[in-house]
Amino acid sequence: MSETREIEARHSSDEVALELRHITKYYGDFKAVDDVSFRLPTGSIHGFLGPNGAGKTTTIRMILDIIQPTSGAITVLGHPTALEVRQRIGYLPEEKGLYKKMKTWAVIAYFATLKGLDRASARRRAFELLERFGLRDFAEKPTDALSKGMGQKVQLLASIAHDPEFVILDEPFSGLDPVNQQVMEDIIREMAARQRTVLFSTHVMQHAERLCDRILLVARGRKIFEGTIAEAKGIIPRRVRIETGDDIAPLRDLREVLSLAPVPPRSGEPTGPNAGAWDVELREHADPQSILQECFARKIRLRGFNQTDPSLHDVFVRLVGAEAKEVGFR
Amino acid sequence: MRYALLVAWREYAESAKAKGFWLSLFLTPCILFLSVQVPVLLEQKATPVRYFVLVDQTASLAPVIEARLVHAHQRQMIDALKDYARKYSVPSPAPPLSELANAGEHVVEVFVAKGGKDFFLAQLRPQLKTNAPAFQEPRMNFQQVSLPVGISPEAGLDDLAEALKPFLRGEKQVLSPSGPVGLSAAILIPRDLTNGIVRPGARAAALPLSGAPRIQYWSVDASDPRLRETVESAVNGEIRRREYQARGMDGAAIRQVEQTYAPLSALNPKKEKGKEAVGVEDMIRQWAPSGFVYLLWLAIFVIIQMLLNNTIEEKSNRIIEVLLSSVTPGELMMGKLLGIAAIGLTMIGVWVLSLFVILGWKSGDASQLASQVLVVVKTSNLVPWFAIYFLFGYVMYAAFILALGSVCNTIKEAQSYMGLLTMIMMIPILTMTFIPKDPNGPLARILSWIPLYTPFIMMNRASADPPLVDLVGTLILLLATTVLALWMCGKVFRRGILRTGQPPKLLELLRWAVRKDR
Repeated sequence: MSETREIEARHSSDEVALELRHITKYYGDFKAVDDVSFRLPTGSIHGFLGPNGAGKTTTIRMILDIIQPTSGAITVLGHPTALEVRQRIGYLPEEKGLYKKMKTWAVIAYFATLKGLDRASARRRAFELLERFGLRDFAEKPTDALSKGMGQKVQLLASIAHDPEFVILDEPFSGLDPVNQQVMEDIIREMAARQRTVLFSTHVMQHAERLCDRILLVARGRKIFEGTIAEAKGIIPRRVRIETGDDIAPLRDLREVLSLAPVPPRSGEPTGPNAGAWDVELREHADPQSILQECFARKIRLRGFNQTDPSLHDVFVRLVGAEAKEVGFR
Repeated sequence: MRYALLVAWREYAESAKAKGFWLSLFLTPCILFLSVQVPVLLEQKATPVRYFVLVDQTASLAPVIEARLVHAHQRQMIDALKDYARKYSVPSPAPPLSELANAGEHVVEVFVAKGGKDFFLAQLRPQLKTNAPAFQEPRMNFQQVSLPVGISPEAGLDDLAEALKPFLRGEKQVLSPSGPVGLSAAILIPRDLTNGIVRPGARAAALPLSGAPRIQYWSVDASDPRLRETVESAVNGEIRRREYQARGMDGAAIRQVEQTYAPLSALNPKKEKGKEAVGVEDMIRQWAPSGFVYLLWLAIFVIIQMLLNNTIEEKSNRIIEVLLSSVTPGELMMGKLLGIAAIGLTMIGVWVLSLFVILGWKSGDASQLASQVLVVVKTSNLVPWFAIYFLFGYVMYAAFILALGSVCNTIKEAQSYMGLLTMIMMIPILTMTFIPKDPNGPLARILSWIPLYTPFIMMNRASADPPLVDLVGTLILLLATTVLALWMCGKVFRRGILRTGQPPKLLELLRWAVRKDR
């Protein structure tokens, strides 16, 4: 009977790579993380978003058992502490650094041995990865010979050299040029394709939008949102931009319209009867097509009619804008 | 433990690549070697031959001075012969020379009476190794040259001095058998020297006035007093001999009386019966620990610097975060301690080994002292004590350094604390030479009971048989302090290592050290 329970337990832990239950962390009197709970399904790519100072790094450190939460519980790969399963976890911290005098391959191999690989396999794996990511020529060079971007790549390789099941990347894109950002995205996608769970923090919304299955949004230590990208976008109203010189203020009375506001002209743009644009926010489930039909019906002369889905950026600004400003000026 | 060992291995491998490590690895044996070799070399080569002129207007003192210089040279010759025999004869030392060993004060007289250098070389020849080079006679350190042409030895002393000054100042050169050379000294003995002789007990009026005749010793080499002293003692010896004769005393009898003495042996009650005599070896035994204290201090100081540097590197590079996702702070700290300890042991191993090698090599050669040091080091318990005190001393100081490194982001931030620690660590160096003079005195005992100083001071006292209570008590206290330091500094390390910003104040650190974790 206990066997059945064990299998069940393993099964359930297999589905959830990470679970946080009511995690709170105080630094002295300062509450860095406030009652955060979430679950990460195995094999998913999870974006961990939030403004600076939101508590992302603190949460990540608690997940890794580098620091302990003041209260709450964490389950990582079915274990109560990450140290028990450290060999199955990979971690790229926000602030990157390498041993300057060590050879590039040796750094990767060292971190791999700390994750349980034997010395020979670690060395082999280091060369393999450097080859694959175009850094073979730097393998024997000390890491202070690497450019910043290369160093960051090497550090990522060091954190995944042991092929972990669960990878935590803290701001993996910061400091990378567009080409290397793409490489980083590819690496993350490739890991997820092999059923690896990825949690990465960022404040560049485009990356999150392109990569994530789910996002977790925090601000001032509190969870603001958790869900899929589509769910996130559903939070804020859809919008259309109508470009016309006519007065469209009467559209405000339509049932579908939530709000309507003229777009302030940008400096240098022509003004006059032919210029002018309006942003129209729609109510939930409203069809933009009906607005278009209404425009035609009212003989509004359109220069443009753009239906834009809200970006994750909009969601972010809407949800944490005020808080982010506050944190920024604190 | 596996993870701690992995960390330790990296620390070891990386520190072993550092230039500083190799520098201190080789520098210390080099200094050791030089400190044995340089005095020997200086004696043989560096002291230049000094040329002097001797104007003796009394015409009776010059032979005495010359004889004294020859005597000194003969003594040098004997030492050189002994050295030569030790190096190139089997068995060494060769029996012909052992006669000289028993001659005591009259060694030169015996040597000369037997036939001097040539006699002994002939005696030695059958025992020489086949590859032995020819014997090199030591140079005479002081060689007399004749007065430069144009200067009359009969002139007044003042005129003579004036005439010789350009030569003494190096403006002109004098002729020697080997060509023109610089004049190092001029010894001028006035004709009427007898009028200037000082006789204690004589009436005040008889005391020489400032203008009374006296020997003039002119030289710019003020730092080398040997020739002046030789002249002084030779002349005074002769003057006294004449004085004895003048007063009708038997000169030979007086010399015999002067050499009469009651033998005295310095004995040590702690030594084995029949071997209580205190010899050079005992002197070395008393002072050798000071050398070990210095090694101990140097080793600990060098490697805690390494530990500080690489802890701060990991912290400032933020490598620490990756490490801490793989190892616990405890494992990390243990790994660093072990890795750097291994570096320290390697360094000390090389040092001690080179000590044995250099002493072993030199002991069969120029330095008798070296062989005695070797015997002392081999037969005493200095090396095991050294190992024990190194271990505890290192771990204790390393714990402080790890705690310090964990709260500082740059070496600069660490410097003020390091300065304090260095000041604390200076005490054993300052007392290093006092302790052996009174190894069980109050200063030594009090300092021994301060755990920060226990390793150094007890090492310093190691061959003075400190009381058992000191030996065991301080060791237990040191052990307890080391464990406490590890525990408290471990707490600071765990808190400090992830912290950024200014290092906390000392009081804050202490609070971290004693307060419960989180």
